[in-house]
Amino acid sequence: MDNTIRILAIGYDEPIMKVVGRLIDSHGNWQGTVAMSREEGMLKLQSGFYDAVLLCVGVTEDDEAALNQVMTISNPDAKLIRHFGGGSGLLENELRAVFDKK
Amino acid sequence: MAQHILHKNESRGHDHLEWLDSKKTFSFADYYNPKRMNFGALRVLNDDTLAGGKGFGSHPHDNMEIISIPLEGGLRHEDTAGNKKVVTAGQVQVMSTGSGLFHSEYNNSDTETAKFLQIWVYPETLNTTPKYTQITLPGASQENKLYAFIQPGQETDTATIRQDTWFSIGTFDKNTQLTYQTHKNGNGVYAFVIAGSFLVDGKELSERDGLGIWDTTEMTVQSLSEKAELLLMEVPMEF
Repeated sequence: MDNTIRILAIGYDEPIMKVVGRLIDSHGNWQGTVAMSREEGMLKLQSGFYDAVLLCVGVTEDDEAALNQVMTISNPDAKLIRHFGGGSGLLENELRAVFDKK
Repeated sequence: MAQHILHKNESRGHDHLEWLDSKKTFSFADYYNPKRMNFGALRVLNDDTLAGGKGFGSHPHDNMEIISIPLEGGLRHEDTAGNKKVVTAGQVQVMSTGSGLFHSEYNNSDTETAKFLQIWVYPETLNTTPKYTQITLPGASQENKLYAFIQPGQETDTATIRQDTWFSIGTFDKNTQLTYQTHKNGNGVYAFVIAGSFLVDGKELSERDGLGIWDTTEMTVQSLSEKAELLLMEVPMEF
């Protein structure tokens, strides 16, 4: 059984998002995809399957509402998670808080 | 009626690496305890000891208010907003990371250890312009009093963060008593004993114990030892 957790990380600061993507991929069964704009995030949501959507640096509340709207149609079971801190300190905690309950 | 949550020193998460000894009141990095995620807007309270010459290499932060309080030694800070500073015991570094920056933090000494508290608070608003502040605490002139060093509406010698928080610190002679009143309805107070022992709202606390108090506007504090040092962090419980 495939136990990969697919995570779409959306954020608008390229250097920070490179780190976030690398940190996600460094975790055992997590697989990260990074989108650097709201539009790219929407396209990736429409064309792929994700277990979680991580909202990172630069994503506004308006962006969140728009992405959530797309997500409810294309990825209704995905968890929407706001990421704070920009690095490894909270990232694993935020994802585990969702997936350890499953 | 006042609510309490007690976090004893020995119950904290503990990472011990060659270069870093870190005790974590709340879940952070490899330490994950779903019952210890935050106290209101207070998300991180790490009690770190850095070996000489060691530190955290360049790494990103965004959308978090980060307060570093050196207890021994000093930290050498450098960030992509152009700040290059050394913060030493008796000073406080406050970083509003907002829309994002990279920074590094190293022990300023190649030989002596540095000890510091690393505190993160969730911001009220997202993606603001990053801001760096460094202040000096008043030291002996303020003994037996609480000194509010972070508060809204920046005043001389204090800092402000992007959240409705008040941080106060004080060193007390034995049996000093005071009453702390919250500044805003809905705020809770997290008391952390840096040194010595205290009675806080009727709960006895030893060194490095923490006590969260909420659903009240007033609490009593009594020092139980000489040179007892207390940090009070008043934060919104809903944010």
